Amino acid sequence: MRLLSVRVLPLFSRHLHPLALPINTLRSVLHTLRSRAETNLQFRRRKNHRLRDYRGFTEVSEEEKRKLVGNVFSSVASKYDLMNDLTSVGLHRLWKDRLISKLGPFPGMKHLDVAGGTGDIAFRVLESIRGVGHKVMHDSFVETEGQTQIFICDINPNMLNIGKKRAIERGYTNSSYLHFVEGDAEALSFEGGSMDGYTIGFGIRNVTHIEKALAEAYRVLKKGGRFLCLELSHFEFPIFKELYDYYSFSIIPVMGELVAGDKESYQYLVESIRQFPKQDVFAQMIVDAGFQSVEYENLVGGVVAIHSGLKL
Amino acid sequence: MARGVFSLLFRTGIGSGSGGGGGNGDVFGKLLSDILVCPLSRQALRYCPDSQSLISDSIGVSFPIINGIPCLVPKDGKILEDQIKSTGNDDSAGADSGI
Repeated sequence: MRLLSVRVLPLFSRHLHPLALPINTLRSVLHTLRSRAETNLQFRRRKNHRLRDYRGFTEVSEEEKRKLVGNVFSSVASKYDLMNDLTSVGLHRLWKDRLISKLGPFPGMKHLDVAGGTGDIAFRVLESIRGVGHKVMHDSFVETEGQTQIFICDINPNMLNIGKKRAIERGYTNSSYLHFVEGDAEALSFEGGSMDGYTIGFGIRNVTHIEKALAEAYRVLKKGGRFLCLELSHFEFPIFKELYDYYSFSIIPVMGELVAGDKESYQYLVESIRQFPKQDVFAQMIVDAGFQSVEYENLVGGVVAIHSGLKL
Repeated sequence: MARGVFSLLFRTGIGSGSGGGGGNGDVFGKLLSDILVCPLSRQALRYCPDSQSLISDSIGVSFPIINGIPCLVPKDGKILEDQIKSTGNDDSAGADSGI
């Protein structure tokens, strides 16, 4: 797509097409944006988790990536929700709503939300189930047969603590439906075939071994269970891609600095989006994990994608 | 002595209703029997109200519960025998009050 835009535009200007002047302006704007983005990318493009940061150009091992992700989320935890609103201009709420509508929660379901520390997705599942009023929900601690159980699993205790606080603020304190568990997406502490639904929102790109997380997702789901992944993905529209790159590499880290006081963490987060496999590749990974009816839906042209699969 | 302490700890089971464990114990008890398992061995876990931890008997590892949140990350697991050796007499006092 990028090559196409380079070839077509000079053709117009050479033949003094009426649109030549504005197109030349557009070209120079495009060139400036692209070179700026590419300069950023040049320094920041990483293979095998190579980082350009205050540590220099060092290759980051898997263990280091784990620690880095841990540090990032410990650092940004308290401002995580606010930063989500700012960087996505509030759109993340709509994306999560879309995720829930694809999930189709029902009363009595056992649902697992992984990397869902602050609770956004889990709360939506709970609210959605409450809205489906065709089954009476039990309030007893003891009777869990047929009772809705929503598990929020996150590797970072700070994020979980914030989730717990938010749950209390929303009045879910005495709910026996919501459970917070600290755990690793690559080694879940849930019994195989126990979950009706599995969601992971903006978390899978931070997992060191995506295949392991997908395998675990497959393991814990029941037959007929649904896997859903909401993640920042690859956006390929020409012209807008340059704007998006500029926004990602120049604006977001600055926002991170101003709001969360942590520029490096947001730089890392933005880079991790570029490192993440493209939509088709990730879909294939989900198929490889054993899921069927795997599909994905691009939102905002691919800025985010919702991948889904069924365990049959 | 260590073996005696070990068996006392194991006897402290679900629903023993020790201090501070009441309702939480039931919740954890039910959760454990239904869904939560050890992330390492995928075997059943047992809730120990005294030490506020979940114990994986199959591999002898305990996972802490902090702020009501079970920490079931594999690297957070502590090997049980080491814990018992290090706490020594304190354990027997704690176990007695638990029964």
